[in-house]
Amino acid sequence: MAESPLDVLLKGNSGRTTRGLLRFIILATIAAAAVSSRLFSVIRFESIIHEFDPWFNFRATKYLVQHGFESFWDWFDDRTWHPLGRVTGGTLYPGLMVTSGVIYHVLRFLTIPVDIRNICVLLAPGFSGLTALAMYFLTCEMTTSPSAGLLAAAFMGIVPGYISRSVAGSYDNEAIAIFLLVFTFFLWIKAVKNGSIMWGALAALFYGYMVSAWGGYVFITNLIPLHVFVLLCMGRYSSRIYISYTTWYALGTLASMQIPFVGFLPIRNSDHMSALGVFGLIQLVAFADFVRGFIPGKHFQRLLTTMIIVVFGVAFVGLVVLTVSGVIAPWSGRFYSLWDTGYAKIHIPIIASVSEHQPTAWPAFFFDLNFLIWLFPAGVYMCFRDLKDEHVFVIIYSVLASYFAGVMVRLMLTLTPIVCVAAALALSTILDTYVFATNGPNPRAKANEDTSSEGLRSARKPDVGITSYFSKTVMTSSVVVYLLLFVAHCTWVTSNAYSSPSVVLASRMPDGSQHIIDDYREAYYWLRQNTAHNAKIMSWWDYGYQIGGMADRPTLVDNNTWNNTHIATVGKAMSSREEVSYPILRQHDVDYVLVVFGGLLGYSGDDINKFLWMVRIAEGIWPDEVKERDFFTARGEYRVDDGATPTMRNSLMYKMSYHNFNSMFQPGQAVDRVRGSRLPAEGPQLSTLEEAFTSENWIIRIYKVKDLDNLGRDHNTAVAFDKGNKRKRATKRKGPRVLRTE
Amino acid sequence: MPSASSSASGASLSSGPKTLTTNSSIYDIAHTVWQQYLATTPQRTLLLDAFMAFLVLVGGVQFVYCVLAGNYPFNAFLSGFCAAVGQFVLTASLRMQTSGSSTSTSTSSVGSGAKGKGKKGISVEGGAEEGAVSHERAFADYVFGSLILHFFCINFIN
Amino acid sequence: MQWSLSFLLFCFLAVVHALSSSGNRLLVVLEDAAEKDLYFTFWSDLEARGYDLVFQSPKSDQLSLFDLGERAYDHLLLLPPRSKGFGPSLSPKNIVDFLNKDGNVLLALSGKSTTPSAISSLLLELDLHLATDRSSVVVDHFNYDTLSATDKHDVLLLQRPGQLRPDTKAYFDGEGVLALPNAAPHTLGDNSLVAPILRAPATAYSYNPKEDVGAVEEVWATGSQLALVSAMQTRSSSRFTLLGSVESLQDKWFSATVKTPGDGKETTTANQEFAKQLTAWTFKETGVLKVGKIEHHLAKDDLTSEDLNPTIYRIKNETVFNIEVSEYSYDKFVPFEVPANDALQLEFTMLSPFHRLKLEPSSRTENSTIYSAQFTVPDQHGIFSFRVNYKRPFLTNIEEKHEVTVRHYAHNEYPRSWKISGGWVWIAGLWSVIGGFLAFVFVWLYSEPTSAKVKKTQ
Repeated sequence: MAESPLDVLLKGNSGRTTRGLLRFIILATIAAAAVSSRLFSVIRFESIIHEFDPWFNFRATKYLVQHGFESFWDWFDDRTWHPLGRVTGGTLYPGLMVTSGVIYHVLRFLTIPVDIRNICVLLAPGFSGLTALAMYFLTCEMTTSPSAGLLAAAFMGIVPGYISRSVAGSYDNEAIAIFLLVFTFFLWIKAVKNGSIMWGALAALFYGYMVSAWGGYVFITNLIPLHVFVLLCMGRYSSRIYISYTTWYALGTLASMQIPFVGFLPIRNSDHMSALGVFGLIQLVAFADFVRGFIPGKHFQRLLTTMIIVVFGVAFVGLVVLTVSGVIAPWSGRFYSLWDTGYAKIHIPIIASVSEHQPTAWPAFFFDLNFLIWLFPAGVYMCFRDLKDEHVFVIIYSVLASYFAGVMVRLMLTLTPIVCVAAALALSTILDTYVFATNGPNPRAKANEDTSSEGLRSARKPDVGITSYFSKTVMTSSVVVYLLLFVAHCTWVTSNAYSSPSVVLASRMPDGSQHIIDDYREAYYWLRQNTAHNAKIMSWWDYGYQIGGMADRPTLVDNNTWNNTHIATVGKAMSSREEVSYPILRQHDVDYVLVVFGGLLGYSGDDINKFLWMVRIAEGIWPDEVKERDFFTARGEYRVDDGATPTMRNSLMYKMSYHNFNSMFQPGQAVDRVRGSRLPAEGPQLSTLEEAFTSENWIIRIYKVKDLDNLGRDHNTAVAFDKGNKRKRATKRKGPRVLRTE
Repeated sequence: MPSASSSASGASLSSGPKTLTTNSSIYDIAHTVWQQYLATTPQRTLLLDAFMAFLVLVGGVQFVYCVLAGNYPFNAFLSGFCAAVGQFVLTASLRMQTSGSSTSTSTSSVGSGAKGKGKKGISVEGGAEEGAVSHERAFADYVFGSLILHFFCINFIN
Repeated sequence: MQWSLSFLLFCFLAVVHALSSSGNRLLVVLEDAAEKDLYFTFWSDLEARGYDLVFQSPKSDQLSLFDLGERAYDHLLLLPPRSKGFGPSLSPKNIVDFLNKDGNVLLALSGKSTTPSAISSLLLELDLHLATDRSSVVVDHFNYDTLSATDKHDVLLLQRPGQLRPDTKAYFDGEGVLALPNAAPHTLGDNSLVAPILRAPATAYSYNPKEDVGAVEEVWATGSQLALVSAMQTRSSSRFTLLGSVESLQDKWFSATVKTPGDGKETTTANQEFAKQLTAWTFKETGVLKVGKIEHHLAKDDLTSEDLNPTIYRIKNETVFNIEVSEYSYDKFVPFEVPANDALQLEFTMLSPFHRLKLEPSSRTENSTIYSAQFTVPDQHGIFSFRVNYKRPFLTNIEEKHEVTVRHYAHNEYPRSWKISGGWVWIAGLWSVIGGFLAFVFVWLYSEPTSAKVKKTQ
């Protein structure tokens, strides 16, 4: 009864338009779902910028909107990295800020006054809708089945692996970069398929945009040449590949060099060398192919061998000479840490210290991708079945991205798109196979989730095997169940794991109501309102961007970790005795020191837990003065209680964290709830700093750096005098007396 | 020269002149290739090739100058050199699209791929559907790509 | 309200009339009111110079250095106590607080009585050290007054001090002989804020008259290690002076006639003049520097007021820095002259100085000198500061720090490619490519029909 109007709708010419309309509606719905599922954080908390890096991007965007593009380009930021400053305009990827700046001005032009903050907060969800769309296009290039594209778009819209970096308020480069990544790949596939300069040029333009938006563009820079190289090795050279690749490379490289931060890297840095090498190679192959048109095979072979030997010899010698002479920069550290997971830990603690750069734990794959992770290999297998150029691309992408995602948590993001593609391919194949196993009435209809009609149709024709009513029902319903589970999982993960701004913490009260812990903002606003506009704040670099963004005070180091020595200086100041730290603080004009302490509340992401990284980074620069070993007890334990080592207990960080902590408890009852250990009965004594502010839950503690003593005494003596202790003359003089000469 | 061209023009591309023996020198082979090339290339493609040769010349001169005189305004060198290289590859692409399809249409009506021969297996089908990019379209693409290239180069050299 | 207002007004007027650069309320702590007359000339000298003297006994209940947390007096003159100490309102901590709040202190001791331990511990905080027994006097068998101390040899006759170091100014010099009876000696620690004003002669030593002569085994200090008058200037430029011999301020010694053992010529002492110099310095009538205008700007001719003190410079800018310094001398500001062997220096610092330049006097106004220096901003961007850090004994500290940002070249401040002759080749290359392209496009379009025909004919 129901299928006859459906058949009319889905068949023939009117069926095409209907399907087009349906497809459009479905895509629009997917985009809407993608956007709305990212709004949890706004609803739960408020329209606020999240985490750390987004605060810098937000600040930069405000600067851009306020001062215009020209001065943004030349921005010298004197409020970070005091006293070095940062050439911000030339050391950031401006794509994100420019995008939101353009949106802002367009909206203003349309007389819609929108706060720039709201644009920044909602940029990531907005672009995730576009990503879903781009995903649809990309997947449609891979297969003829239209359902695959829609499935992939739906997956991309709600998969947690992508949501993790694109919830509302997560105003980070990845917010637009993933869209650009997917769209660039779509254009590239299109270019390879059509062999047209236009698609290649478009791919290059979007590649240029991607370069301006995210450092992860290197992934594209290496993946596309690899794709071409594999195709060449498979003997699939064709003029299409030549045209698309050379166009992409020539234009894309030039486009990427327009970004000041990238500058000459594309021809200097080894990360980009594979693209250049493949560019050269494809010229040779094209030339050889061209010559082959004129002469018989045997002669051609000889000619080819000679050419190959000469060219490779020259290229190899050239590369070695250039690398040795330093014209081409060696591989960057982050890149090394991709290949050798132990590399960073040994050589570059600053890279290893970032939690995003840690290797991925296995559950994370399932957590972020759910059932897509086991459809993924099936999808890759599908690609092997009909191995066209674009399928080769999918396979290479899958292999590379899987490896990278295993090495670094953060690169899960690059894996997600290809997982969606592959999973959608697999799932749509399954659906197509089962639902249209017999010559059903509408073999090309989309088979998304309208199981009721399918079930009814197959009811007319009970059969055995996969065409049977039973197997179809089981298959489709199980797929539907999986899909529903997936949606439920995504929603759960999004709302619980990825929607916390991390600036504002939420906890549950015993009665189940939500309790907001707002210490960060409390402290930052305290700084904003109670300190001089130019007061320098020293903190560990994690909080640099937030202090710059929320407190609007100059910081010593921030999350842009461009100067390892400067960070190590801060690490040294934190991990040394007061007598060592104080001159460092004075030299850097530090007015306030900010530490994060979770001991009262049990907030584990505090500075004492990060302390070993500070020690390690400082040790990298001053191995003689700071030693990680000294912070461990003889039995190799990291302790803060009575058993803590003297180095630990004298370090500035320890003193600042536990200063006056005892006074919160009964005598001798002070307990650190993060480390779960009882603290020494007598708290540490601070003499060069004085407590200026401690937030409600003691998460943020701010100390003011004392000026030099007015009478020229050292701070210990001055503090002792203020406390009324009589100075003993005997302790005053050690060693021979110094005679004054004047 | 003219006689060789007339004799070879009708023949299929794979059959070379009979004078070439299996153990002839590299030079001979190269010479034959040159002869073949002159003989089989249409006039318009020659024009393309002349332009490409010009670009190679410009690029080569710039590179040699860079090696000899140093690359002080590095961005200027890069944009000058990249312009030559980029224009070269774009022109080469145009050449493939135009001459490739012209040869394929002239030699075989089926048009089995852009290169006509030397491809195997699955990829031939891929080539077949895309092989026929019209000249006008190819040229428009070419101009489009070139304009982008020039814009970038001029911006970069400032 | 009315009262407090008029009090304020009074204070203001008082300040205007005061000679000292930092107020005229002077508290004199004197235990025995009868002793007051011994110093009559001294008091009248001070009053003549505009000071408003308040005499208090250390035991008095009304004695407090602070009023509602603020200083109640600008200066403090402490005469040696008879009893164990000065009492609770003059504890070492209060006196240190007084110093920290920019009050000035002149402490006079005497070798006659034992110095209380509270004072000793106060002096210890300032890095001035008394002898362990706290009751020694300085004795010198070569420089004593033969008229008054023929036996004890404890009235020292000394020349007035000259320059402490070649790079300092002499505020206590002059003709005449100083007589210091019963001087309690002290030594100086290595605190750079402490400077000796008057040292004992090389032949002097410290002697405790209450102990047996033979008991002196451990020699604490001798000769010119012993200081008789010393000055301490805190970082905030408040001043503390320790005078070893309170008797030298008495009327008796202001006009005494003394005779050294050598030549036997009788002279009158210069104690009065010296006391004036000492109090003038301690209570900030001399040696006070004031920084006036500080200006920095780009080195160019047509300066507008917007060009002054910019917050941002660019690397390799040519920059001028001016600082106006005047010195207070008894009752007025006069142009400050740097001592001959010294220099006022400007540092351009980021973490460490990139420039350290001598500031040369460029012009002089009625009561100030303008020092200036011109230099090129280093080729390093960052947050720099102009610093003038001038700390010398007997002069108040100048510590000026002005932060400026030094930025990199903006993208449009680099020379354009066509300005660099080396780039012409590549510009020519680029334009030849573009020209070639245009020519090619024309030829291509022109050759279109023929080529199409060729194709068809083939």
